[in-house]
Amino acid sequence: MAVESSRVTGDVIEAQEFPDLARRYGVRGVPKIVINDTTEFVGALPEADYLEHVKEAVSGMEATPD
Amino acid sequence: MASISLRDQQAIREHFDANLKDDVEIVMFTEHKSPIIILGREQCETCDDTRELLEMVSALSDKVKMTVHELSAARDEAAAYGVDRVPAFILKGAAKGRVRFFGIPAGHEFSAFIADIVDTSRGEAGLSEETREYLATLTEDVNIKVFTTPT
Repeated sequence: MAVESSRVTGDVIEAQEFPDLARRYGVRGVPKIVINDTTEFVGALPEADYLEHVKEAVSGMEATPD
Repeated sequence: MASISLRDQQAIREHFDANLKDDVEIVMFTEHKSPIIILGREQCETCDDTRELLEMVSALSDKVKMTVHELSAARDEAAAYGVDRVPAFILKGAAKGRVRFFGIPAGHEFSAFIADIVDTSRGEAGLSEETREYLATLTEDVNIKVFTTPT
């Protein structure tokens, strides 16, 4: 998604080399995907399901009051 | 020591020849291993292997360039990319957003890395129309972290 949108940043993080990050994000199985540090899921999902998680993360941000 | 078999090198070379469009730059941040052990300061154990692997890949196409920065000498540039740990590299090209990699793209991740180079070069990743339409509506930045392992 980062390739096709200037709004999206993608970070690919090798968990074994950065155990502090793996711990911080509770990584026990891979691939683990964390969106906006809020929504997360484990395992490779079909694109449509992936998109639903992105929408969930984004709408969660928009729903947060100032 | 990082290595790609000659057979795989040829396969990647052909894949790049057939699929790369625009140039891709691999911007790498690394730290050379010091012969002096400084207490409290961890050495980057995978930096040398990562650099070797990336250099091997960039040699497989004239369209793939590579720039290497020592983190300690390029803090401002690293900060601009949001890089605070090594090894890290960013793919720059026709891709609209930023894709950052932290750690060596070895094992299972290697083929994804090659695919990412091609996608960055083409500025597209084969997403569905529905996804593209949704991405076009984004008004906030989205960060997607993908945790992987080589095995």
